[in-house]
Order: sequence, then C-alpha cells, then structure tokens
Amino acid sequence: MPSLRELQSDFLEAILGADALAAPAAPRRAQERLAREIVADTVGLAERLAIYAHNAEHHYLASLRKSFPVIRRLVGEEYFTQCAREFRRGHPSRSGDLHHVGAPFPAYWKNKHGDDAYRYLADIARLEWLYQETSTAAEHGPFDLAKLARVPPAAYETLRFCLHPTARLFASEFPALAIWEENLRSDQEPAIIDLRAGGVRVLLVRRVEGIALRPLSAGEFAFLERIGKSDDFEAAVAAAAEADPEFNATQALEKFVREQVIVDLVQPLDGGLCAC
Amino acid sequence: MGAQVCPPPGARDRARTQAPNPAPNIPAAAGIGLRSPHLDEVLCTRPAVAWFEVHSENYFAAGGAHLAQLERIAERHPLSLHGVGLSLGSTDPLDGRHLERLRRAVTRFEPALVSEHLAWSSVGGRHVNDLLPLPYTEEALRHVSRRIEAVQDALGRQVLIENVSSYVEFCASRIREWEFLAGVVAESGCGLLIDLNNIYVSSRNLGFDPDIYLAGIPPSAVQELHLAGHTAVPTHGRELLIDTHGAPVADAVWDLYARALARFGTLPTLIEWDTDLPPLATLIAEAAKADVFLGAAHAQLA
Repeated sequence: MPSLRELQSDFLEAILGADALAAPAAPRRAQERLAREIVADTVGLAERLAIYAHNAEHHYLASLRKSFPVIRRLVGEEYFTQCAREFRRGHPSRSGDLHHVGAPFPAYWKNKHGDDAYRYLADIARLEWLYQETSTAAEHGPFDLAKLARVPPAAYETLRFCLHPTARLFASEFPALAIWEENLRSDQEPAIIDLRAGGVRVLLVRRVEGIALRPLSAGEFAFLERIGKSDDFEAAVAAAAEADPEFNATQALEKFVREQVIVDLVQPLDGGLCAC
Repeated sequence: MGAQVCPPPGARDRARTQAPNPAPNIPAAAGIGLRSPHLDEVLCTRPAVAWFEVHSENYFAAGGAHLAQLERIAERHPLSLHGVGLSLGSTDPLDGRHLERLRRAVTRFEPALVSEHLAWSSVGGRHVNDLLPLPYTEEALRHVSRRIEAVQDALGRQVLIENVSSYVEFCASRIREWEFLAGVVAESGCGLLIDLNNIYVSSRNLGFDPDIYLAGIPPSAVQELHLAGHTAVPTHGRELLIDTHGAPVADAVWDLYARALARFGTLPTLIEWDTDLPPLATLIAEAAKADVFLGAAHAQLA
C-alpha cells in the first residue's frame, strides 16, 4: 500500500501534470498508479479527476481575471484565457492563497509581446499589479516631525527616508494611465488613444478616500525611486538633479512629507532600513 | 463498516482544555457567506442577517479597504473565518507563513468561529487550490490530527473542521468518513463544521447513506452547519453531483438539513454561494428559508 505522501504525489501529478511544462508521460503514469488505489466506478477515474483539475484551473484563472481586468478587456476574453493558461503552466501556484499568483504576469506579457506593436500591454499589466499592491499594503501614520527635528543638519545627507507602505512608482513610454483609466469601466466603449501620445510617470498611494494616482516630474520620480530603494538622501537628490536640473530637493521633501508619501526616516546607525 | 476509531490516552483532556473562543457566540440562526461584491451593500443597507462568514484568505492582506469594511461589519455582526488554503491534510510541512497570516486575521477580526477543511491541496510545494480528499487510514488520521493540534496551538483556540465533497474514494480507506471525523475530534480536540450539501454530494457519488453519516457524527462536536447548491451532471447512465456552490440549496439537502437539526439541535447555519454569485437578496432569501427550518426544529426540541 502506498504511503500518504505517495498517494498525494500521484494524485496531484495526475491533476496538475497535464498542465505542467515538463514530461507529459508523468501524469499518465501517475494516473495509472492512482487507478489501482481508487475504488472503481462506472464514471472513469480520468473524468472524476477532471473535476478537480477544472476547479484548480478555474480558481487560478479567476484570480488573474480579478487582478487584471484592463488587460482582459484589451485583449479579449478568449486570448486572455489562452495566455492565462500558458502563464499558469510556467508559474504553477505555490501557495494556498491565490492573491499573489499574478505577480509575474507583467513579465509574462513583456516576454510575449515585448518586441511587437502590443508591447504596451506589459506596462498596463504592471500598472494593474501595482494598483493591487497599493490596495492591499499596510497602513501608516503621518511623519513624526519631532523625529526629523532631532537629526543634526550635518547628518541630513546620510539620512534614509521611507515611503508610505502603499506607495508605488510607475513609468511608461506609453500613455498607459489614460489607456488604463479608459478601459476600467466595462459599461462604456473606450475612446481610442494614440500610443504615440507620450509617456507617463505616476505615483500610486492609498488614501482614506481611495487610491490616488499622481503625476510626477522626472526629478520627483527619480527622487522617490531612489528613496524607495533605501538610498540615502544625498544619492536621491543627485539622481533627481540628473533627471531634472531644476529639481528643488527642499521643496520636494517638504511636499512629499506633507502629502504623507514620505512617512519616516532611518539613520545609518539604526541599520538604514525602513520598518515599513 | 470500517474499523472502530478510539481516542488515544489524553485526547479527551486535550479536548477539554482547548482554550475557549474569545468572541461572542454565533447565534443558532442562518448566516451568509459574505463575498467582496456584497461588502458595500451590506455596509449601506445593514441587512438583518444574523452573522457572516468570509474566506480567511481574502483578508490576509496587510491593509486596505476590504479589511476596513469587514472590521466595520464585524462591529455589528458575529463573524466566522473560514479557510480554504491551509492544506491541513498535506504531507508537506505546514505552511508557517499562511498560518501566521491566519493568526493575524484572527487577531484583527476576533471571529466567533474559525474553520478549515478535512482536505489537502498541495504536495512538493505545488498547490491545486482545491479541496482534495484524504484516504481514511490510521496514518492519515494521526497525521491530520497532529496538524490540527499545531494550528490550534498557533491560534490559541479551537478550530472547526469541515467535511468536503468527494468524487473519488481510496481503496485504502478502512475508516468511514464520519468515523474519521469523530476520530479527528477525539485526537485533536477540534470542533466540527458539517456541510450537508457535501454529505449529500458525496453520498450520491460514492454510494453511502447520508443518515448513517449523520448518526456517526458526535453531536457535541458540531458547532456549525453549511448549506450550498450543487450541479448534477448526467454521465455513464447516472448522475455525478458536482459541488459548485453556484445554485440554490437542493430540496434533498434541505430535507437532510431538517434531519441534521433533529440530531444535532439548532446550530448556526451558513448559506454558501461562490460561483455565479447572485444578488444579496437571493442569499438573504435562502437564509430566511434556513431560519424557517431552524424555527421548526427549535419548536420540536422545546
């Protein structure tokens, strides 16, 4: 009699194996072994296992559909389903919580359409995933200004600031934000958007009233991007100045603290990493 | 009949000493499985629903509007967290990250009930994200009972274990499912969530008497009942029943529910609907129907 481990391995292989990229003979052999361990029925084993296989695919695809409604609308239900199935073969679920399976989906689109007329799709998928991350990240209170006041001015350059946990940065060479907004609502025909209309840099951050999408200048984007990577203040300012010679670091810092985009600081002696 | 399952020494002590649940009890009334498309409506209209149950994994996020909405709902309604992804019966190590997220959700929402399934969904790190059946063997009984104990220890409270729908039966199963559930209760000190639709679906697919099933369940362990819809698929000269959670509760399941209430007494009863989610009003109407059964059972038992 096989062990519980062996039974489970064959059962799972028989259900998921047909969807995997590797060895197509493996699920057949697993099903043959499993057939000796399952009580016979007038309904064949393959048909009964297909119920579980269908459920597995249904739940996985439902999670992708929920996370990427605009991609789904842009490419149509049939092509979305075809691509989602292909994506699943390369990215099988590794968790009992399906909310994270879509994380590599933007890279899938970049790989699939990165060199053709549809390469904007990867950017739309990335925006949708960032939106989901912003929607579900942790809360954080406003900046404790007394903490900043305690820092001696000579130490400013080595300070590391922390972004709000919900803050995400998005940039695209395409008018991706306009495309996304135009296709979010499924009850109206979207307007035609010229892909050559110019790129976009956006900050996504969650507020009490919902997700805010704020346009950023090149300098602001570079500044926040470096802060988000835990670079120190001096490096962030240098990157911003390189992107935009007119960038004013003091004004930017004041603005993003006031708007609760920058919400904390750490000093090198603290380890230099944001807790959030 | 399969082999008799006896609790090991000390099992009854474990059952007795399991920490009481901190939140107020859920009333012996009908509740609704709350899904995200209905959150706004529930908050705005404040329907007279006795209690709500949500899928635990839908509230594992660190923050966000859905969590805030559920916190507001939980201020007015008793809440149950119902997990679908812990893979309790798997031979993989228990997923510590998943369990920690569940613990955080339990701390945040203080639900009156926390439940999981007598099932597995992963092996070798690959997940099916569906509820797969266990072989009912002594090995599986010991294994899943230890896992339930570990979960209860991590959460600091008792969990309820739910029976699942089955489409296959293992030759190795020497224990009947109802005996297995009783054994798991005795070994781990867990409670039971009995899904009457799942019993009915499995009884038709695998050919057992659902009343023998009910008679084999220890009434004192049952703390919640589930009702849901299924779909019948004609195949090979018979019907295969599929647990879709996408239809009204079938008449035969309502009948089984009445017999369950006669055996177990009146209990919190959930209307579950997941696929092709109907308007909230449809779920409320199904819950009202369950309340009629509960009222009749209460009158008979009084």
